[in-house]
Amino acid sequence: MFVPHSEIDLKKMFEELSISSLDDLFTHIPATLKLNDGLNVPPTLSELESISHFESVESKNTQNLICFAGGGHYDVYLPHTVKTLTMRPEFMTSYTPYQAEISQGILQILFEYQSLICDLTDMELANASLYDGATSVAEAISVAINKTKRNGVVVSNGFNPNTKEVVNTLVDRSKFDIKYVDLIDYMFPEDYIFTEEDAAFVVSLPHYEGSAQDLTTIVKNAKAVGVITICYIDPSMMGILKTPGSMGFDIVVAEGQSMGSPLSFGGPTVGWFATKKELARLVPGRIIGETRDSNHTKTYVMTLRAREQDIRREKASSNICTNQTLNAVGSTIHLSWLGPQGLYEIGYQAIQKASYMKQQLLDHDINISNPNNSLREFIVQTSKPAEDVIIEMGNKGFLAGIKYSDNEILVAVTEKRTKSEIDKYITSLQEVDNA
Amino acid sequence: MHSGGNASSLPLVGGAPEPTINQLSKPGRRASRFPKLDVPVTEINNPAIRNDKPSLPEVSEHDLVMHYSRLAHRNFAVDVGFYPLGSCTMKYNPRFADYVAGLNTFANSHPATPATFTQGNLEVLHELEKFLIEITGMDNATFQPPAGASGELTGLLIIKKYLEENGLSNKKDIIVPDSAHGTNPASAKMAGFNVVEVSTDIRGMVNIEDLRSLVNENTAGLMLTNPNTGGLFEENIMEISNIIHENGGLIYYDGANLNAIVGVCRPGDMGFDIVHSNLHKTFATPHGGGGPGSGPVAVKGFLKEYLPGPIVVKNSNGYDWYSPKSSIGRMHGYHGNFLVALRALVYMKLLGKEGLDTLGSYAVLNARYLSSVISKIIPLAYNEPCMHEFVATVKDLKKSHKIKAYDVGKALLDKGFHSPTIYFPLIIEEALMFEPTETQTVDTLDDLAETLKLIIEELQGEDVSLEEYPKNLPVGRPNELIPAKHLTVNWGDFELLELTE
Ligand SMILES: Cc1ncc(COP(=O)(O)O)c(C=O)c1O
Repeated sequence: MFVPHSEIDLKKMFEELSISSLDDLFTHIPATLKLNDGLNVPPTLSELESISHFESVESKNTQNLICFAGGGHYDVYLPHTVKTLTMRPEFMTSYTPYQAEISQGILQILFEYQSLICDLTDMELANASLYDGATSVAEAISVAINKTKRNGVVVSNGFNPNTKEVVNTLVDRSKFDIKYVDLIDYMFPEDYIFTEEDAAFVVSLPHYEGSAQDLTTIVKNAKAVGVITICYIDPSMMGILKTPGSMGFDIVVAEGQSMGSPLSFGGPTVGWFATKKELARLVPGRIIGETRDSNHTKTYVMTLRAREQDIRREKASSNICTNQTLNAVGSTIHLSWLGPQGLYEIGYQAIQKASYMKQQLLDHDINISNPNNSLREFIVQTSKPAEDVIIEMGNKGFLAGIKYSDNEILVAVTEKRTKSEIDKYITSLQEVDNA
Repeated sequence: MHSGGNASSLPLVGGAPEPTINQLSKPGRRASRFPKLDVPVTEINNPAIRNDKPSLPEVSEHDLVMHYSRLAHRNFAVDVGFYPLGSCTMKYNPRFADYVAGLNTFANSHPATPATFTQGNLEVLHELEKFLIEITGMDNATFQPPAGASGELTGLLIIKKYLEENGLSNKKDIIVPDSAHGTNPASAKMAGFNVVEVSTDIRGMVNIEDLRSLVNENTAGLMLTNPNTGGLFEENIMEISNIIHENGGLIYYDGANLNAIVGVCRPGDMGFDIVHSNLHKTFATPHGGGGPGSGPVAVKGFLKEYLPGPIVVKNSNGYDWYSPKSSIGRMHGYHGNFLVALRALVYMKLLGKEGLDTLGSYAVLNARYLSSVISKIIPLAYNEPCMHEFVATVKDLKKSHKIKAYDVGKALLDKGFHSPTIYFPLIIEEALMFEPTETQTVDTLDDLAETLKLIIEELQGEDVSLEEYPKNLPVGRPNELIPAKHLTVNWGDFELLELTE
């Protein structure tokens, strides 16, 4: 399958190598290691047969659940234009652009990607992508630790628990002290006192719980004692929220799924990473720069390469090699398609629809833990166990949200949801959760 | 010669630079349209909300499509021509996988959807795990690592936790060959280990005597590819794994070179305890211009409970998530690069027993053939039978004519071929590493060799200026010093700011 050789080809190749069978290629491999009967795997399927196989596996997923779950991954409308351009084979089937002369397409898009992210967040330098939002948080913490040579890491508790788990895996807790700070009334405490042992302050805008606050004062307090401040953003809200740069942050990271990638069961998506130039030498991953070729024509290349693993080995700023370029291409094209008005509308409509939903829930005597300062995402209280409610709502065609606590569900509304879906959600929730 | 792999017919030529999307922006233009708001408007008061619009380009949809399509034309790809890039396994990526990855709930499930509603997705991961553990000779796998390097870190963190739980925290040394890929030492460092380098012998394999001298009570483990980064099978692999195991260490298989041995032999049978696979290499998922990949980690049964969780298990009611008891913790926000894993499964299903049993053999056949023809033009680094890739060197040409591996790579671009990997592994001078993969025809291999021969003759010419190569592409050699000194990394940087640090 996909091996092109005819009998004639094989004869020619065998002759060149003076062999008479494929087995003759491996006389130098110890006999005890060789698989004599081959692998225990199912027989070959033709494309035609595998269509029905994969369609039948796919049909085992519950179809068309209306998505009210968020927590970093959002059901934002992904236009066909963006999907088809991103999937162009020239982008999809190329490798890392080491050979700049034949990779100007990918290089220029990544340069545009970096620029768009800088414009959107008020930063100066973005890298060409990290694996996802969660690993980007961990990478940003590592930059802060390397910069400050301090041991403390202050992380807001208002994060997806999975993100916190990734941070706990990737930051060595035998060396570094991670302090998780509880939100108070769904807000990071304005009077939190940072110390000179703290390397990093990490906070999410909006918080995982959906509440948002202006973080300018907190950032100022952190920076006053030399802490590197890291903001985790929801890109699909950046058309409506103040930029992290305007609040003074040093590093911005994001789960970039909502810009250019389908939900994909969580992957592949893309981790955004942007910062200020003074941290350039510590940035993980690839960076694309603009230069000139021998004829002074504008040319893009990978730059600041002396940070990367293939050159610096164990002294590299990160081990990342393969990243999420194609998803970064998706982000670039999606952001360009949206433009200022489109990105604004995604955020604005989501918040308006969430406000409507919150009001309707309250009118139907369903409690919301954070009705006031939440934007497009908020916590709904249940009388039955949240887990059971989510399953029963699923049976009625809704992905109700993400379990937040035993009796709370985190609900997200995107611009895609309609009034009628919201109304039906509430009717179903009432049926499901009348204790 | 004309072969399927030669891209010299491409209309890539067009000297003018493509403007950025920002330069195409005009106030008031837009591509996006949204439905009218269907709920009553409420006033939103939140101090985090801005009063102005975000800064983004304003372009028409047609301008946008033309711009990105023109950029596509400025990019070499597997779908365009031969890409003999060593260590990267740039094989054909079946189109059919795109169709499957686009199916509704595969593409569009939210990652927090409960297992009850995503039985199909869990079945995909379970089925792929079965294929992978059979191919690698291991017992259990996680799909969280999004790429090979993340797989390495996963494996090393597993080693660390396993040693800690067995009271062996003193073991802090990870041995890595001097020929290893940069991610190996970088991952070892990130996991908190000391990196100890073992040398390569004159045949191009791990220097066993050196290895013995480096192994002691502090040895935590060894990271190795087999075939190694020189494309050679480590014939003493059993002795190597015994040396490490006798000293209480574990051995890690960097699966970047797995393509060579699929259906031939298995890392699990060679004594490896942990294996990552690069699905974006061996299992034909597209590289996407640099990613996404997928680097699932498979382990022997005694390490199952250390895997990042949750992992998929099958029980009487179908599939469910299971959290390993001593897990190192998550390596990814959710389930790793699921759609990449799905594409790899599609590939494995299409190949099936017939295709997988012979996969490694055909990959090696193509490389061995190409090495045989190329060795008549430039010398190989090692006089040993290669596996799926091989390293040639132009160190003699550098001495005699100042021709570097870099120059040969650039000249090949002009002729419609991607360059081989150059300067890797680092221990070989002026290295050119060729990996043809099993999906190229013998005509394309001959075409490449013939072209290489012509280039080498041409470059040795009297009044050749090497810096002029490539000559036929939209841009020539980039000045790589400008961006390092003056950091122009976004379009706002018109002044080429000097880097301060
Ligand atoms: C030998 C080797 N090891 C490790 C890696 C790292 O894999 P990845 O790029 O998927 O992180 C690569 C590939 O780039 C490689 O060639």
